[in-house]
This record gives sequence, C-alpha cells and structure tokens, in this order.
Amino acid sequence: MSSHREAPEISQDPAADNTDVYAFVSPDKPDTVTIIANFLPLQQPYGGPNFYEFSDDVRYRIHISNQGTAQGDLIYEFLFETTVRNPDSFLYNTGPIETLDSENWNRPQTYTITKIENGRRSVLGRGLPVPPVNVGPRSTPNYGELARSARRLRNRTWFFAGQRADAFNVDLGSIFDLGALRPFNEAHLIPMAAMDGVNSVQATNVHSIAMQVPIDMITRFKNQPTNRFSPHATVGVWATASRRQSRMQDPATGTSVGTGPWVQVSRLGNPLVNEVLIPMGQKDRWNAGRPAADAAFREYVDSPELARLLPVLYPDVFPNLAAYDKPRADLNAILHTGIPRGVVPEFQNFTGATQADMLRLNVAIPPTQPEDQNPFGVVGGDLAGFPNGRRVNDDIVGIELRAVAGVTIPLVDPEYTPDETASQLTDGTQSAAPGTDSFPYLQDPSGGYQTRPGTVDEGEN
Amino acid sequence: MSDTSRRSFIAAGGVGVGALAITGAGAFTASASASATPSADRAKERVVAFVPDHTTDELHLLVDEREVVVHDRDLVVRLLNAAGSR
Repeated sequence: MSSHREAPEISQDPAADNTDVYAFVSPDKPDTVTIIANFLPLQQPYGGPNFYEFSDDVRYRIHISNQGTAQGDLIYEFLFETTVRNPDSFLYNTGPIETLDSENWNRPQTYTITKIENGRRSVLGRGLPVPPVNVGPRSTPNYGELARSARRLRNRTWFFAGQRADAFNVDLGSIFDLGALRPFNEAHLIPMAAMDGVNSVQATNVHSIAMQVPIDMITRFKNQPTNRFSPHATVGVWATASRRQSRMQDPATGTSVGTGPWVQVSRLGNPLVNEVLIPMGQKDRWNAGRPAADAAFREYVDSPELARLLPVLYPDVFPNLAAYDKPRADLNAILHTGIPRGVVPEFQNFTGATQADMLRLNVAIPPTQPEDQNPFGVVGGDLAGFPNGRRVNDDIVGIELRAVAGVTIPLVDPEYTPDETASQLTDGTQSAAPGTDSFPYLQDPSGGYQTRPGTVDEGEN
Repeated sequence: MSDTSRRSFIAAGGVGVGALAITGAGAFTASASASATPSADRAKERVVAFVPDHTTDELHLLVDEREVVVHDRDLVVRLLNAAGSR
C-alpha cells in the first residue's frame, strides 16, 4: 500500500512499481504545485552491494490532465542511465561519496527529462544527477547535503530524482491477515487482544521523482486560477511506468535488452484503488490501462468488495453498511469523477462525467500550512488535503477505511446514517518519516548502516 | 505504434527473416533468401518478430520503439515451418 506490490505482474518488477503519487499546492510556494511519484517499494536500506536504483529500461512518466477529458495533456517523461566506472570492482563505492561527481562512486546514475505537450517533445535536461543511495556514515557522509545538491531547476520547474524515506504508513501485516485492524482486534471475527498498529513500511525507502512546477504552467489556460468553482481550476494527475514490449535475455552476457514500443506496466492516481478495490483478476489490466478508459472498472468502485467484507469480518459492528445496497456514489465521486459543487461546502474538484482514476487537485484552493493541516483532509474539514490532490502527511489508510465503511455516504445520500465505529476506523499506525516543509518534502532515506532489520514477534503463535 | 502496410512488411521482413534464419535456416530455401532485395529504408537494427496466432496471416515486427504489423500468410507459414524444424 498505497500501491506497493498491488498487482501480480508488477509485484515481480519492483523497479517499475509505482507506490505512491502526491500532488498538492506547495505550502511554502503557493504559486506552484508539487508532484511526487514514488517507485521501488519496501527497500531495505542495507540491500547492497547492488543497491536499489531506477531502471534504465523503464520509462517513467507523470501525466497531467487539464481539459477535463482524463487525457495526458501535459506529460513529463524521465529516462535514466547508469554508468559503471569500474567493472572490475564489486563495490558500489570505493571510498566516501562526498560530491555527486565523486570518483569513489562506482555506479552513478543520471536522467533525462522530456516535456510532452500538444504532441511536441521538449528535452528539459540531460545528464541530471541522481544522488547515491544512503549507504552509511562512511560511504555517504553528509547525506542530506549530498542529496540536496541533486535538485535541478529547468524550465522554471524544480526536479529531484532519488532515494527517499517512505512516508507512507500502513499495517500490512495485520490488514492482510484477514482484514484485521489491531486496535479493533477484539471485534474481529477471529478475536485477539487489541493493540497498537505496526507500520510495515517503517525504515524502508523508495525512489522518488519529484517536481515543483508553477501553476501557470500546468493549467489549461496557463494561468493561476483564483475561482475554485471554475471548471479549469482542477487538474488530474497520475504516474505510469512502461517497459519495451519485448525483452530478450542474452545468454552470452546474462543481461537483457528491450525492443519495440513502450508498454505501460504500472499506473497510479488515487491511492489504494488498484490495491484494494480492483479484484485480483483485473489488477494487471488496470495497471496497463488509461484513466480515460476506467469506466470498465466502475463496478469495483461503485460496489467495493471491502465494503461487503467489513460487516462479515466485524460482526454486528457495521449493520447500516451491511444493509446499504445502493451504488456507492460517494466513492465514485471521490475516486472517479471528482466531487461536484454543492456536495462539500466551498469545495469542488469535479472534472466531468468521464470515469477516470486520477488525483484531482483544485489549484485555486490555497494550501494549508503544515502546522494547521488535518491529516484527514477534506473529510476532516481541510480542503487542501486528500481527495483534493494528496499531501505527504494525509492519513490515506484512515480516510479510505472510513470512506469505504460509509462515512462519506451522507454526502450524496443524506438519509444514510454511518455506523458509529465507521468514523473511528484506523489501522493504528503513524508515519515513521513524515513529510518535510520544503521540496522534495520527503525525508532523507534510512541509511544502510543505521538501520536494524525488523524483529519477529511470536505473538499468538 | 502499429503500422500495417505492405511496404513496411517488405522493408522490415527481410531483416526479420534474416534474424530467424539463424536458428531455423533449414526452412528457408537459398533462393528465397537470395531473392530479397534490401530497400533503402529497411530497418538497420535488431528486429524481433512474432506470430501471435499460427492460424492467421498476421506477423508482428518490433523494431526500435515501433511495432509493425504485416499480413502475409506465405511468410507466416515459412516462419512456422522454420520454427518447427529440428
């Protein structure tokens, strides 16, 4: 979660696996939008000597829709290239890496950014540096400064690509043990003692592509909308990863080479959609698809399996949810069309009738400063948070658990009364690496030397 | 991007046949190989050819970042023969 190893095919291809996408008006630069796309889930920081890196064989893209048709009207493309300085060494580095051009770094990586708009491709930068992974205090001293030096300004836009701490929080171990939420263990069909949640992604890293772009570069009319009810105030955002259609292993070298068109293998807009709503037999197809064609998946949003499971897994806790048999227009609005005007006071992020999974960010709504942010976003009365785009510190698991459990049904069906527990649902976790206050808004990655492997609690067995 | 045309087939097909001939040369007669004339706009790089359905005339050629789809039952059968040779 939110999209870590969420589908059978992509779980076999971590370098292309898109784990989270964030899009928000930058609190410290409110004339810009920050978009972050994370890949390569659940990295153990000590995973050397071949540490994690972007794949040279994957085409990473960030898509922005600004015409209400869920098409990629503006695309930023990222292609990576890895150099091996000394193929006769088995080491990632042969001494401290104190600068991005350090000769001690045996495997530096660079990238090319291409902007695609109206069919025109513009290369914004070549040979841009990716910082090394955080190996440890001997190999990557002063890591924070080293990583910051990899930020680049191109076309009025700041870019960063490199390893970051995973800010997400979720209790994977419990949730995928028959839908258990540890704080509610006693109410589960198979009861256990209640306990605090365990954040499964604590101390793990991801690889992030982050950009901070002026709002007047991404909206339909290249301006900064001030009317939040304007249909042009909302942009759709998602990220993808693609590989060549054919991949052949060369037995002579033990390496592979790709040929043919790029074929999309990973997609992510709204968190948890493919992970939780799309059934196993459709997940790979969802990853290969386009948001504009998401009408094919509408049934899984309108009638989610999880909403049917909650009353079974937690007997007598969700009687109202169990009895609700209408299509979930609330979830459809949140995830597939945006919320129209008149549903939430002073808010809308509706992008038209096209069923499409995208983050929808109303850029005319001012950002909430970090100290005032409500992690429950719009549900918590903070209109600058999810599902108005998504901020790093939004409590996605909590928001979506409560939404699926029925908390948001009254927005579209005032006669419905949510079950009492629905508004309390949580997996009991908190981020181990909360977002920061400046670009790229994600903490430095956990270091290999500094990180201890997890422990196994014998628990009930 | 798929591109279905006889011209594309002629351009790319020669290279595809050549590549396959490495492992299935027995199915290609000397005269068939010799009769192919390289065109000016032929592919000059790795080409991957595949037949998705052995009962049809459809042949897919992957070259660079493109996919070329050609329809030639005769060529498909010759490829199938080559693939089946021991």
